[in-house]
Amino acid sequence: MTDVTRRKFLVRAIAIMAGAIGAMIGAPAISYLIGPSNERSNTGEWIPLGLAASVVPGDPVLMKTTVERTSGWLVDTQEVSVFVSTENGQDFTAHSNICTHLGCRVRWVADQAGFFCPCHNAIFNRDGSVSTGPPPRPLDSFETMVEEGTIFIKEA
Amino acid sequence: MATRKETRAAEVGDWVDERSGWRLAWTTVFIRKIPKVNWLYTLGSATLFVLIIQVVTGVLLMFYYVPEPAQAHASVQYITHDLSFGWLIRGLHHFGASAMVILTIAHMLRVVLYGAYKYPRELTWLTGVVLMLLVFSFGFTGYLLPWDQRAYWATVVGTQIAEVTPFIGGWLKTVMLGGEEISALTLPRFFGAHVWALPAILLSLVGIHLYLVVRNGITSIPKRDD
Repeated sequence: MTDVTRRKFLVRAIAIMAGAIGAMIGAPAISYLIGPSNERSNTGEWIPLGLAASVVPGDPVLMKTTVERTSGWLVDTQEVSVFVSTENGQDFTAHSNICTHLGCRVRWVADQAGFFCPCHNAIFNRDGSVSTGPPPRPLDSFETMVEEGTIFIKEA
Repeated sequence: MATRKETRAAEVGDWVDERSGWRLAWTTVFIRKIPKVNWLYTLGSATLFVLIIQVVTGVLLMFYYVPEPAQAHASVQYITHDLSFGWLIRGLHHFGASAMVILTIAHMLRVVLYGAYKYPRELTWLTGVVLMLLVFSFGFTGYLLPWDQRAYWATVVGTQIAEVTPFIGGWLKTVMLGGEEISALTLPRFFGAHVWALPAILLSLVGIHLYLVVRNGITSIPKRDD
């Protein structure tokens, strides 16, 4: 380190300062750019669906509600439709009405006791599992909760 | 004794230099002879430095800003309050804008007071004058983009000032606003000017301005009998 000339010292000092300034803007800039991609909004919130009394043992009931979704600075409402069923009036199961194959809406067909998808004739059993057809996995299900007579599902 | 790492770096440097001549360019720009000058001679470089900050933060702001009346203000609020370091990026751009105007004028005053605009540097001066007007245009067009009350009324005032231009004033104001008053057409045209048209002209002129500075060298401080 004895041969550090004035010129060499200045060049290094400038390089270090430039690097420091670059890092001071660069690091926040990276955080700023990738920030929103890490955010998962609304997940884990309990969404009220309706009265638990409206679901009786037997056919699943299609319950509809809307949830607010924020994307950046925009807030819009999305419709959520869920089939809720119960066997004893105490414990409830909730299944999405969206077919896991290509996203068509399934409907409950009482005389076949299954969820029927009109797009490719797929049938799901009462518990959401695939009976026949192309769907790769069972219907999505939600965690449920009953509080003061209202059924809630946990947003996935 | 050069270390192995230094030798390796020199080899890469040689390889690139043989194919690009970068060492000559580097020496010409950065290792050129200059007269003994004072700190006022750094004002131009300071302006250039802030310009680079403005370009970088401006590009970053464009990742989120939406130049549309219903969303412009909300997107700016989102940048400022919700994004990580959004306040910093916007703050740098906001205060950098003021710094640009102050530094440009200070730089111009130094050139005027030292007589640095004289032969053979008239072209540097002329491009500098246009650059200063461009900096003002950036300030004016950028001021509308947050789309709040201050932005709106500043643009009302600014375009009314343009309106008193002799003969073409009324026409000029209409062209600036894209109509008789500030509307959905005004915001995108100010945005387009601010992020595309003005930067293209400014950066080209900065290139010419800097070429001329390197080509002609800088003036020394004038002496009493100059």
